[in-house]
Amino acid sequence: MNDPRAQTAYYESEAALRLVDKELDQLRDGAEMVSRFVTVSLADLPLILERANGQIRAVLSHLRETRQALQSTTFEKLQTTHDKIKEVTSATEDAAINIMDACDRANQIVDELDGIDASDTPDRARGSELRSTLRDELFMMMGALQFQDITSQQLAHASSVLVEMETRLADIANLFDSSLATDRPLATLAAADEKTYDPNATIRNAEERQNLADAIFTSVKAPAA
Amino acid sequence: MKFLVVDDSATMRRIVINSLQRIGFSETVEAGDGQEALEKFDSSVKFVITDWNMPNMTGTEFTKVLRSRDDGRHVPVLMVTARSVKEDILTAMEAGVNNYIVKPFTPQVLKEKIDALLPAAAA
Repeated sequence: MNDPRAQTAYYESEAALRLVDKELDQLRDGAEMVSRFVTVSLADLPLILERANGQIRAVLSHLRETRQALQSTTFEKLQTTHDKIKEVTSATEDAAINIMDACDRANQIVDELDGIDASDTPDRARGSELRSTLRDELFMMMGALQFQDITSQQLAHASSVLVEMETRLADIANLFDSSLATDRPLATLAAADEKTYDPNATIRNAEERQNLADAIFTSVKAPAA
Repeated sequence: MKFLVVDDSATMRRIVINSLQRIGFSETVEAGDGQEALEKFDSSVKFVITDWNMPNMTGTEFTKVLRSRDDGRHVPVLMVTARSVKEDILTAMEAGVNNYIVKPFTPQVLKEKIDALLPAAAA
């Protein structure tokens, strides 16, 4: 849980709930104990109820804070993840369209080359020019496949956010009822190693981002090779 | 001239190696992360192209270790990465990277950066 406010509220809620839980356990400690407690404390009942009321109010207050903090951080993270997944979809589609366009152009070039070959007086200069263009098109197709590396980083980030959400929800569920804890290890949902992806990876504005890198390398003296 | 191409994505390694071949450099050796790159690096490697985000050892970690070695102190290192915020670029410079390419890149950009570092590689 990265948000310190959420973390504090979460732990305070947990502490308050444990306190209440402990007191309830004491109340449950056998009929004799209860009977003695009731007898002895009947006169103090208003005081006990007031104290219990205070504790319940404190728990509710912490729970509200926890809920608000979790809601705000969770919403923000899920929104970013949603945007990343949308970008994966559009990047994949853009790459596919670019590759299909290049395939169409390559097919046209091959048709034109066939025409030259079939000619009684083949224009070899034109043939050479077309082959060079065809190589460019094939190379462009290969370059378009860079989307795969970037989208895989975006998906790794989205996956890590989902695993974090699941862990948080499991923690909260356990807090209220530890019997809900399952034997299914959350580790099996382990997110990708953070070293292997950039959460900000994007296919957008490559030229602008390259210009920024160039400007920094120009303004700050790069290490001599 | 031998190039060491380091990237955990096999697709990216292939794209970079094909780009290199297209601009006239056919001698390449590849590695999937910084650790493997250190094992494969020797004095015959004259140019390093590395990704940043990789398992086991990242591109910046690899560059730092490379710079601490006698045989890797002066070899040109070109980083090719999706990371492109200012702090990242400065971190790469501090690690010892000589130039920086943002993914997705064009073959023209790759050629420009390599050309700019070739004198150092040939030295």
